[in-house]
Amino acid sequence: MNSDQFKKQLPILNNPTMFNSRKIFLYAILFAAFTFTACESDDPEPENDGEVITDVILNFQELDASGNPVGAVSSFSASDPQGIEVGATPTIETVELTKGKTYQLNIEVRNSIENEDITEEILEEADEHQFYFLGTAFVGSPILTYQYDDLSGELIGVQGILTVQQNPGFNNANMQIILRHDLDKNYPGASNPNFQEYAMAGGESDLDITFPVVVE
Amino acid sequence: MLVNNSNVYYFCIVNLKTPILLTLILLLGHKIQAQNCNLSIRGKIIHLENNEPIEAAYVWVIEAEEGAVSDKNGNFTIKNLCSGTYTLTIQYLGHKEIRDTVTLESGTFTKTYRLEEVALGLKSVEVHGHRDAVQTTTAVSALYGEKLLESRGENLGESLKRISGVSTFSTGNSISKPVIHGMHSNRIMIMNNGIRLEGQQWGAEHAPEIDPFLADEITVVKGAETVRYGPEAMGGVILVNPAPLPTKKTSKTSLNLVGGTNGQMGNINLVYVGGSHKIKGLGYRIQSSAKRSGNVKSPGYFQDNTGVSELNLSSSLGYSSSKLGVEAYYSLFHTELGILNDSHTGNLSDLENIIENGRPFADGEFSYEIANPKQRVTHHLAKLKSHYHISESWKLNFQYGFQLNHRQEFDKRRGDLNEKASLDLELFTNTIDLYVNHTHKNELSGTWGINLIQQANSNVPGTGVTPLIPNYDMVNTGLYAMEKYSKGPLEVEAGVRYDFRNVSTARYINQELRTADLDYQNFSAFLGGLYHISPDLTFNSNIGSAWRPPNVNELFSEGLHHGAAAVEIGNSDLKSEKSLKWINELQYDGKRTHLELTAYLNPISDYIFLNPTGEVFVSLRGTFNVYEYLQANALFYGFDFAGSYEFTDKISAYLKGSIVQAKNRDEDNYFPFIPANRMDWGVSYDFAKGTDSRTNKITLSNVLVAKQNREPDFDIAPAPPAYALFNISYNKQLIIGDDKLNLGLQVQNLFNTSYKDYMNRFRYFSYDMGRNVLLKINYEF
Repeated sequence: MNSDQFKKQLPILNNPTMFNSRKIFLYAILFAAFTFTACESDDPEPENDGEVITDVILNFQELDASGNPVGAVSSFSASDPQGIEVGATPTIETVELTKGKTYQLNIEVRNSIENEDITEEILEEADEHQFYFLGTAFVGSPILTYQYDDLSGELIGVQGILTVQQNPGFNNANMQIILRHDLDKNYPGASNPNFQEYAMAGGESDLDITFPVVVE
Repeated sequence: MLVNNSNVYYFCIVNLKTPILLTLILLLGHKIQAQNCNLSIRGKIIHLENNEPIEAAYVWVIEAEEGAVSDKNGNFTIKNLCSGTYTLTIQYLGHKEIRDTVTLESGTFTKTYRLEEVALGLKSVEVHGHRDAVQTTTAVSALYGEKLLESRGENLGESLKRISGVSTFSTGNSISKPVIHGMHSNRIMIMNNGIRLEGQQWGAEHAPEIDPFLADEITVVKGAETVRYGPEAMGGVILVNPAPLPTKKTSKTSLNLVGGTNGQMGNINLVYVGGSHKIKGLGYRIQSSAKRSGNVKSPGYFQDNTGVSELNLSSSLGYSSSKLGVEAYYSLFHTELGILNDSHTGNLSDLENIIENGRPFADGEFSYEIANPKQRVTHHLAKLKSHYHISESWKLNFQYGFQLNHRQEFDKRRGDLNEKASLDLELFTNTIDLYVNHTHKNELSGTWGINLIQQANSNVPGTGVTPLIPNYDMVNTGLYAMEKYSKGPLEVEAGVRYDFRNVSTARYINQELRTADLDYQNFSAFLGGLYHISPDLTFNSNIGSAWRPPNVNELFSEGLHHGAAAVEIGNSDLKSEKSLKWINELQYDGKRTHLELTAYLNPISDYIFLNPTGEVFVSLRGTFNVYEYLQANALFYGFDFAGSYEFTDKISAYLKGSIVQAKNRDEDNYFPFIPANRMDWGVSYDFAKGTDSRTNKITLSNVLVAKQNREPDFDIAPAPPAYALFNISYNKQLIIGDDKLNLGLQVQNLFNTSYKDYMNRFRYFSYDMGRNVLLKINYEF
């Protein structure tokens, strides 16, 4: 198309008065007024907090000298039904153990809001998660000793062996259970379940609960 | 009478240009005692169209054969005129000549002249250079030309640090928000080509969704401009403006390439500007930029997961004739950025551990990978603007803006949740502005208008986290009027505005629907004046009231903030903040000296701030600090200074700095995150010879930032110590035919100093960025 043809098709170019400025201006306003009313926020949908941990259950299974289970499992739990909410504090049960006995400790982590077993997720991402066992029960001449005994062989702490001293110096202690996420498992010292400097290995805490412990 | 004679004698003597007149007056002076010859005509020449000053207009007094040329503020003075009647002619290329009859009797005659543009077949001269983006009597500073070129590759916040009184509130090296006189986020406003940018600005870690490359000038208005721009413009306004579209046949391309060693950053920007020769008055521009950077390096280690990936686009199409102007504009901003790994803490003891360590636990390594935690933000902005000249002095303006902001924030989470955003917000905003401007040949001009903002915010479901802020709909209606009186060197301006706002919100918390419906309304007003004491010296003063309704996060926040190991709780009973800002500025623009002094006083009642309650919240995750939103009466005050001096044609120096004080008057303590005293000075050596206008300059500069001694009563870590940084830059311009090539080499943090800045929220977790060597290339063809 040469420029003459172009001009014929667009009379505006030949005659500027045909460009009805006022009309264009009004059309622009009408267009905008229409779009303006066309936008509203969505109705909110309830969100289930998938990330929240509401229950942590410690299952103690007594083992005999050859490592076979003896008797029933005794469980102690910490729970916080609302997850993260201001005002509420978690309910933490006192862990009662017997002197000189060895237990298999299984930690169960749940989200009761979603009715979800988070333990499975932890096991799936075993390379990113690790439990640490701190508190007065594990220091000085410790009344408790812990070693990782996870089925996969990786150091996670979902399953472990906990031994109570025969003659503990004291009966009352506490056991702080910390679940680290996204840590560097190869950091020197990180393989120790009682690693005080766990923060140095990086990552963040997904759980940090202190259970009172009574040894009888 | 003797006194009068000597006066005449003195004034005529200094006027060496008119020796004939001098002798004449000397002779007459004795005979006609009443003749007074120390009268003068002062005036200001501005565009009728937009009130912008006209520089270099020619003024001629026919009878006296005296002339003058207007300065860059449009001012002119013709001195030593005797009483009588004179004919004045004012001429400026492309404008209708003005002829005015002036009767001088005593003192100084002052008048403002408005020149009307005439449609010329071909504009032979195009005026290049800086024009004020906003006509206001308040303090304004702008970044353009060479200074803007030097800032290329930096984000908006970092770029604006070059203006005294402006600092940043940042989260690491990739997120920075501009701070004007201690105010940021929702207390200042950012305008993207005339549309108020509506993103999720409430968040401390939410950077403005704008690409500085789209601008050819960034202007900072330091006064309260609520009347002109609407609520929230209480601390100031940042105008990010592209160059006006061409109205005649032209074709220009500009390419920017920026590379930086720290973070191995690469940035490219391409702009094409064209004017149609088929349709007169039709012009267009298309611009796009892309940026990629990896983990930045602090002295001694890499900051893990601090990469940035950005892709931006803007385009506009405009048509203008003598009666009508139409412009369509679209901009897209898209960014994905990593958040320093170790800043994502699980609980308070994690936070305390890293604060004690002072830096990330791992040394990190270089990588371009962006993993969780990260942010992904897309911002679309479209506007349609039109003006129509109803008559010679009345203009009708209409502007419509549409924005969609999509913000996703990803946390470190378990399993499939890691792929899902834990904050996913969609914000739609419509803005309509309808206003009339009137400009007359007399002293008055003004704007009256109506402004509508409608907003809809929705949480995209499926995050697996109770939303931090609810879904909401907001409507704001504003009515305003402003008038300006100009007479010669004096300009006085006043305006009023009324706003009404309704916010309705809805959100589920623990399966329970919670809704709210809130109304806010307010009047605001301002009064300002500007006086050209002499052609070199200007004083302006502006007092403006402003208000800001509480933001949705301040009203309804409820949730965990991983970066601060804090639970933040909103308060739905918060009232609107009301502020009064009085700002004064003195500007001197001499031959060798340039000086700018700004002082301000800004009391705010019901200032909203996040206050630590001192309580901790205990959960299975550990403990967290609890913060709540409170209101108090605040007083902000301070001053900025900027000056430069040319010692010789080769050597020049500059100095700028700012001091802000922000007190909680109820508690008699200080607010957190207010910039510390800072100063910046430098020396330049110009290699260019004589009249050569091409840049060829080396600059050594030194930034000094004091320790923030005005600390709040509670902070999770004390303010970091003072620091000094040295920077060096070399800029050279080459002319290749008709093309221009600008080269810049910069070294920032020359001595690789380890430092922390009080205004960087990541001072809790890491030292700031180390040395960075940047190469900046700009080619215009």
